[in-house]
Amino acid sequence: MKMKASPGLIPMRKRWFFVALWLALIVVGHAMAEDHSSSRDTPQLEDGKKVYRQYCASCHGIQGEGMPNWEEQNALGELPAPPHGPEGHTWKHSDAMLYRIVAEGWRDPWNKTDRLTMPAYQEILAPSEIRDVVDYLKTLWTQEQRHHQADESVDNTFPIQSEITLE
Amino acid sequence: MRIIIRCFLHVCLRAGLAAVSFGIASTALATEEGLLSLHYDVAGKRLLKIEANQLFQRTDEGMAWNAITLPEDMAEGQLRAVSAPSTDPQTLYIAGPSIGVQRSTDNGETWQELSANLPSREVTALTVHRRQNETLYAVIAEDGIYQSGDAGTTWKKMDSGPSQKVNRLIHSNMDGSMQTGWLYAVSGDAVRLSMDCFCGWRPTGELDAGSVYDVAYDLDGPKRVYVATQQGLWRSENGGQEWQQIDGDGTVLVTLTLSPQGILYGLNHKGELLHSEDEGQSWTYPDA
Repeated sequence: MKMKASPGLIPMRKRWFFVALWLALIVVGHAMAEDHSSSRDTPQLEDGKKVYRQYCASCHGIQGEGMPNWEEQNALGELPAPPHGPEGHTWKHSDAMLYRIVAEGWRDPWNKTDRLTMPAYQEILAPSEIRDVVDYLKTLWTQEQRHHQADESVDNTFPIQSEITLE
Repeated sequence: MRIIIRCFLHVCLRAGLAAVSFGIASTALATEEGLLSLHYDVAGKRLLKIEANQLFQRTDEGMAWNAITLPEDMAEGQLRAVSAPSTDPQTLYIAGPSIGVQRSTDNGETWQELSANLPSREVTALTVHRRQNETLYAVIAEDGIYQSGDAGTTWKKMDSGPSQKVNRLIHSNMDGSMQTGWLYAVSGDAVRLSMDCFCGWRPTGELDAGSVYDVAYDLDGPKRVYVATQQGLWRSENGGQEWQQIDGDGTVLVTLTLSPQGILYGLNHKGELLHSEDEGQSWTYPDA
């Protein structure tokens, strides 16, 4: 006996189609969440990439490869700019720390000079641009590194806007 | 007569060489096997000593070492490290190969194993964060350094560590770190240093002093660091960037620690306690 679909109800074959589609969307959504380190969407990653290329790439490399011999002091007694990819250590820092380094700059305490080898960008970049560039850096890491960094950031998130304004 | 003198000199030379060799060998043995270790427990105002797989304490007032009861199931293990939080006098941590990490909150009456979340019990070094009582760092042999932020309940691998075997690990609150402090890792050949965000191990200054045994820093001024070596004691005033040999009385110590009052304590290779109140220039037996 053939079953007739009642009016207003979705036929069985179509229902399976929607269930399959729904499951597929969940899988794709999870895959995208894994692939990108934050919930921020692609336009913001593109913005971050632009900021990176304009302000960071001259020292850290267009692909984030860093300067040669970055683990040893150079002739000036300064540590060269490190890589941002899996071989570097950027992924070991929380969002809060990465934001602070970009905003306030950094020099290694053992450098023989006093200058900030990593310049401070808080007068040049908007807070959203700093967040974008940090999020872009996350695309250079392995999945495992992104997980590690996300763990480190649970209690050390990007500063919220009001905190930045108050400062 | 000439032959007798020559034979006498020959025997003396051999005996001297044997004595020197024995001294070096026993020092190395004491250190490589981690049989001797000293730690000043700031909160408990006491010295903690590991000797012959046992743990002892000696308070500031006391002259004698008193044994602290250890877990019953650690006979197979080798006790290598003891560390204590800086503001919790009740808590002690011990670690070692086949022991893992264990904690006592009642001065050794009972112990809890904290290795469930670690990949193995082959722990070669352990330290408690200088300012955070519940943050621990453990070195797992041929694996890396694990950190716990909840007093050992859970652990997370932070770094593969220096490629050399780490015999001692000490957390310091010296300024300049991106995070909260620094970690000194002592291997047989050198002392290495990393910020506690683990963004790279750096060698400390040149230290041409044979085997390196232990490191300690001044709690009031963490940039002042001491290192005990086969060729005596060295000091740095800038966290280890440069070392200067202390022109002392030639005392060789295999483990070293500093009290908040600036008194240096060390054990020689016989396990004898010595102390120095003049920044390592001269050493005396406190019991004498």
